[in-house]
Amino acid sequence: MSASWVARCLRLSVPLGALALAAGAFAGPAAAEDVIKIGAPLPITGPLAPEAVKQQQGYDLWAEQANKAGGINVGGKKYKVEIVYTDYQSNTPRAVQATEQLITQNNVNFLFAAFGSGAAKAASTVSEKYKVPTLAATASSVQVYDQGYKYLFGTFTPNDTLTTPLTKIIKAQVPDVKKVAILARNDLFPLAIAQEMEKSAKDNGFEVVYFEKYAIGTLDHSAALSAIKALSPQWIFVTGYTNDLLQIRKQMVDQQMKAPVVSMIAGPAYQEFIDALGKSAENVTSAAWWHPAEQYDGKDIFGSTANFVKLFKEKYKSEPDYGQASAALCGALFQLAIEKAGSIDRDKVRDALASLDVTTFFGPVKFGANGQINSLDPPVFQIQGGKPVVLFPQAIKQGELKVGVE
Amino acid sequence: MQAMQILINALVLGSLYACIAIGFSLVWGVLNVINLIHGSFIVLGAYLAFGLYQSLHLSPWYAIFVAAPLFFALGYVIQRLILNRVITAPVLVTLTLTFGLDLILNNAMIYFFTADYRKLTLSPPLGSVSIAGAVVPVDRLIATATALLLTGLLYLLLRRSRIGRAIVAVRLDRDAAVLMGVHVPSIYAVAFGLGAALAGCAGVLMALIFPISPLTSSAYLGKAFVVCVLGGLGSVSGALAGGLLLALVESVGSTYLGPSHATTLSFLLLIIFLILRPQGLVGRKGFE
Repeated sequence: MSASWVARCLRLSVPLGALALAAGAFAGPAAAEDVIKIGAPLPITGPLAPEAVKQQQGYDLWAEQANKAGGINVGGKKYKVEIVYTDYQSNTPRAVQATEQLITQNNVNFLFAAFGSGAAKAASTVSEKYKVPTLAATASSVQVYDQGYKYLFGTFTPNDTLTTPLTKIIKAQVPDVKKVAILARNDLFPLAIAQEMEKSAKDNGFEVVYFEKYAIGTLDHSAALSAIKALSPQWIFVTGYTNDLLQIRKQMVDQQMKAPVVSMIAGPAYQEFIDALGKSAENVTSAAWWHPAEQYDGKDIFGSTANFVKLFKEKYKSEPDYGQASAALCGALFQLAIEKAGSIDRDKVRDALASLDVTTFFGPVKFGANGQINSLDPPVFQIQGGKPVVLFPQAIKQGELKVGVE
Repeated sequence: MQAMQILINALVLGSLYACIAIGFSLVWGVLNVINLIHGSFIVLGAYLAFGLYQSLHLSPWYAIFVAAPLFFALGYVIQRLILNRVITAPVLVTLTLTFGLDLILNNAMIYFFTADYRKLTLSPPLGSVSIAGAVVPVDRLIATATALLLTGLLYLLLRRSRIGRAIVAVRLDRDAAVLMGVHVPSIYAVAFGLGAALAGCAGVLMALIFPISPLTSSAYLGKAFVVCVLGGLGSVSGALAGGLLLALVESVGSTYLGPSHATTLSFLLLIIFLILRPQGLVGRKGFE
């Protein structure tokens, strides 16, 4: 009886699925009038889901503000904004499909790129093919932009702008540091950052005594940490995402590893990193592309940095980090470019983006010839007293470097 | 000295892997069901420990006593109401069913708990101790001891109790067990309940050691799978042997070849075992 019950369900599900597909196809083009649709392929489920939530918060905040103000002004006519999300399940090949689907089936006008450097690069081949202007909120690796593409722009500066200032500060203020150990997640962005770090450490006369990668999804790091401990480096530099860095920091404490300097990218910029680690997060240094302590007076819809932070806190009851801010910035930049072009023609908007030279709540925005932003000074910061404290750039400095991570 | 540290790391990690895998192995061995919800049960157990510690300040050592009966009941009900309906169908049907249940449970956890990573941090922290020149975190040590204790209890239950003998009987020969008067559906439900209870307890212990998020469930499931293949299905000692072997290979590999090759090595080992010794380290050939 039970087997036939399953078979019946399966048989029933086929026509139902077809029906659902047909309904989706009819619902699609109905809302094309006076709306600018921007497609956002995101890893809404799977291991990168926490990052997708942050991206969504940034995009939604911008769309809400833009629509509250009546919409985007295109040559005197107001257009509402609609963001079309698709889930690519943290699976890069699916990000490419999702992007194509947004263009050909959802008929979006413009695109936000998939999350991170790897997926953004993969999906950019599709957006380039269809000539759809795309803004990448979270792609920093130069390899994303050196493909000679015309329609891809990104709001993160190259990876070395994070590691070089950090290395300079450590070299100037902690003369004891001689040996550096680098442990990197074997993934496009974390690995690229680690390689930049290795380069900048060597350029500044440090000895890199350990450089290893750990696989995506590694549960336990005790063996790698034991090996690092045996080398007794003064600076331990680890890259990865929040879950990796939480686990590694916890295991460092477990193994009683101490060092004058411990740096981690990209977890410490997130509040949940500090909340989850408590005291063990103290004095960990990091760098990010943006920090809520910055003070810019922008020409975009958010205006000042302080206003952006205020709006964000009102909507989400938490402090924004660089991921959310960059997503909101991408929306604001589309708005600026569309208004400047006075049209929603893809080529005109693309040209307007390429020629942008404007101050925003995120900082000055100007894209290089390859499409990557080249006008920002990313801040270096350290967790002190459970809060991120900015050490660099000078203009927004909040405190001095503290040495010693236990 | 570093060799000692590697060995101790591996022993501790191996016991934790065994603890993750044992419920999975029991269900696979007895019911011939590849239980894909296992990883999500572990995560749910971890959230239970986290929640009890945050709200009632109940230490995870006591949370185990809450988790075990709760998860047993959950597993028993799922088996009785859902899985027993398709238990005689080909393995693909039960696989698909547990896959679907896993999707539901995992996404429900993402919905209710969000995908943010959380950490159960004991205050004051337990710190670490030195054993023969190697540093071992106390929380891992206690988790290891508890894992071994749970494994021992399961062993005793299967060996000494009436219900345990019935489970083993069903595992060895279902038809003969029926003829001896064993009520197979309830034995299935008890075995699945035990599997769930072990997963829940493993989750409570893992909460102390790993970050908690619904997204980690697939990592736990993957480890359980490898441990079962290495150790052999359905036996307590198999899970322990498989866990220790996996941890040892990972630790040694990651020290001498770099951590990025630890996973490669463990899967290489898996393939070698599948080809040369498909019954696992302590499994018996032709046991199916």
